[in-house]
Amino acid sequence: MQYKSQAVAKPYFIAAIGLFVGQILFGLIMGLQYVIGDFLFPAIPFNIARMVHTNLLIVWLLFGFMGAAYYMIPEESETELHSPGLALALFWIFLIAGALTIVGYLLLPYARLAELTGNDILATMGREFLEQPLITKVGIVIVALGFLYNVSLTVLKGRKTSISLILMLGLWGLAVFFLFSFYNPENLVKDKFYWWWVVHLWVEGVWELILGALLAFVLIKVTGVDREVIEKWLYVIITLTLITGIVGTGHHYFWIGTPGYWQWWGSIFSALEPIPFFAMTIFAFNMVNRRRRDHPNRAATLWALGTGVMSFLGAGVWGFLHTLAPVNYYTHGTQITAAHGHMAFYGAYVMVVLTIISYAMPVLRGRAANSNRAQVVEMWSFWLMTISMVFITLFLTAAGILQVWLQRFSSTPQPFMVVQEQISMFYWMREVTGVIFLLGLAIYVASFFMKGEAAASVSTTSGRGEIGTQTA
Amino acid sequence: MRTTLSELAPLPAPPASVAAGPTHPPGDLAVWFFILAELLVFAVFFAAYAFARAHDVALFNAMQEQLDRPGGALNTVLLITASWCVARAVQAVCEQNHAALGARWLAGGIACGGGFLIVKCIEYADKFAAGINLSTNTFWMFYLSLTFFHFMHVILGMVILAVLWAQTRRGIYTPGHANGLESGAAYWHMVDLVWIVLFPLVYVMR
Amino acid sequence: MQAPRTHHAPLTAARSASLLGDFMSGTFSKSMARNVFYGGTAFFVLLFLALTFDTQGALPKRDNRDKLTPAVAAGKKIWEVNNCIGCHTLLGEGAYFAPELGNVYKRRGPDFIKAWIQNQPTKVPGRRQMPQFNLTDKQLDDLVQFLKYTSEIDTNNWPPNIEG
Repeated sequence: MQYKSQAVAKPYFIAAIGLFVGQILFGLIMGLQYVIGDFLFPAIPFNIARMVHTNLLIVWLLFGFMGAAYYMIPEESETELHSPGLALALFWIFLIAGALTIVGYLLLPYARLAELTGNDILATMGREFLEQPLITKVGIVIVALGFLYNVSLTVLKGRKTSISLILMLGLWGLAVFFLFSFYNPENLVKDKFYWWWVVHLWVEGVWELILGALLAFVLIKVTGVDREVIEKWLYVIITLTLITGIVGTGHHYFWIGTPGYWQWWGSIFSALEPIPFFAMTIFAFNMVNRRRRDHPNRAATLWALGTGVMSFLGAGVWGFLHTLAPVNYYTHGTQITAAHGHMAFYGAYVMVVLTIISYAMPVLRGRAANSNRAQVVEMWSFWLMTISMVFITLFLTAAGILQVWLQRFSSTPQPFMVVQEQISMFYWMREVTGVIFLLGLAIYVASFFMKGEAAASVSTTSGRGEIGTQTA
Repeated sequence: MRTTLSELAPLPAPPASVAAGPTHPPGDLAVWFFILAELLVFAVFFAAYAFARAHDVALFNAMQEQLDRPGGALNTVLLITASWCVARAVQAVCEQNHAALGARWLAGGIACGGGFLIVKCIEYADKFAAGINLSTNTFWMFYLSLTFFHFMHVILGMVILAVLWAQTRRGIYTPGHANGLESGAAYWHMVDLVWIVLFPLVYVMR
Repeated sequence: MQAPRTHHAPLTAARSASLLGDFMSGTFSKSMARNVFYGGTAFFVLLFLALTFDTQGALPKRDNRDKLTPAVAAGKKIWEVNNCIGCHTLLGEGAYFAPELGNVYKRRGPDFIKAWIQNQPTKVPGRRQMPQFNLTDKQLDDLVQFLKYTSEIDTNNWPPNIEG
């Protein structure tokens, strides 16, 4: 660790992993409720479990992003963090506020929670992913502002690298677009239209800047490839991301009351969205092939490459599958969407946060890399989680195709619940695979407690692999 | 010691024109990636147009009658002239090392681009006055989408040309050191190229 | 003497690889990549805002705002504070655990909807359960008004059939 203040990243990473475990547990509850409908009813109805599942995901990814920023920004800026104390205080505020919110979801009827937390002053609750009570939303804004203040001042007083500028752009964008969660007009169409300005412009917009910055940072560290090379490719990739992703928002505006031309605009631009993800995959593999050193942290490299591949599959390929309006007409709001959502979130954002954690945690614990044994265990968890996520996606896709066929495409369409019973076998298979995912996650957590001698640093000065070196 | 091929089989040195000739496109690769991405977007847009037209040829042919073809033709001339001016500007800087002349050519390019925008605005005003908008029908959706998307590209291209004009006047570009100028020029030619496809496709082809 | 220009050579695989190599050997600067990023982003943000502007103007004809009564607004709030979106989809957005409700007014009608909500949970063993939300008659009416209003939004003929 080059700067003492980078240490504040550690609690953020630990909290992220802890909440990740919670997210998966609730995912398994929901998965079971899909096939045993009254499981845990009325203690935890499905809508509550889902809210906990998705909100925990968002919160732990935010913990991961903030931890990543606290780790990266001092090193990139070559200066100590503006205020480590503020970072630590915000950590506890965010953690406690998040925990209280989850407890509120679980212990109170949602309508009662809304009543107690001032939803009558400004109604913002009860919209997918934005279910947080008003006070939590305000809290998120305050924490985000404090966080941005802290890291921005650090960037301003130190070295300004492209990676830190792109990261800051992504984080500021995240905060700015979250403000649309406070806009909830009575007009349902406008509500939905601007709801996507939070959700889509996050995950297919500014979050991808964060993703790119994190990935580029880790690639510089583990490959030793020249910063200039990595940063200029990063610019090219995020340019492609935004020129396809911003207008690509239109693929959500096909059937919610918005004008028909969005079917063309949305289809055309979102059809090109796989390109930046493909470029990112090529980029990650190319940089690793051209590495100038063999970093002892092999696990981090594996996560980085996995991010490239899985985000391309999940966000790129599975997104493309149902993004064209004529296809989406039948698949909109089916298990196809769920399949895409799972692999895209895992492949892009879960994996990139695990990448930075994998790289940074050993350093924060005073070593360049974990012991070989710990790394082998971590890599097992990589494969278990990743392969089970692939199968979860495949099973949900199969369920979705059947659902579309029976409920939407058929000349004698069947009611929703009748169809659900016919595709329950795939839900069972998804649930079993989900248990394997949890097993992978348990092994992942266990890898942090593995002892053993730290892996030795291997350093080679000669460039490895000649592919594309002329572009340097 | 290794014996090289040339020692065993001495050959005359390659002509200087080949050795020193440019083997890569002018301008910056970053801009070329952008140009390729933009061309891809337009290509998909054009393909979508063709697809939609094939589904309702009668509507497209009927609506096409209402387009201002002379205006479109004038705009084609304006953009080609603008591209010519920009090419002359690059030539003036890179081959004649004459920055002031280059700046004048760039100004000519900007003027032609401005002319394009004026003609296009007159055309739009006419269409809007007739109550045409993006939701009128598929043809007008495509006409407005494609031309407005291109219209914005012309504006962006003119902003770039204006920056190049200012920098050229300040003598920033010299032969062999004109990466920015060549990059901006390449972008402008792309904007021109797209129109050269768009005009026949939307205005003329039946 | 002018040497034959290389690009007249036939385009073989090796030749295209070398062309790509030539292409990649050009200038590629970080500052230009950065400028393209900022310029390209600003461009597409403006384009998106322009389309948003047009959408705002086109919505009155599509979003059924004439029928947006105080009852509908109250119904939307009931929809929200009971987190209905946590199980159901509305115009295809939400959770996929329970049926689409954007067109439920047309599928089931007002009386069925009210009776259904009042009689939850079904307590059929193993079947998916909907909680009892203890809504008053007025609240049920408002919710039905909201679902009626929603079913009349112009969604470009989505969903494909009445089953949602």
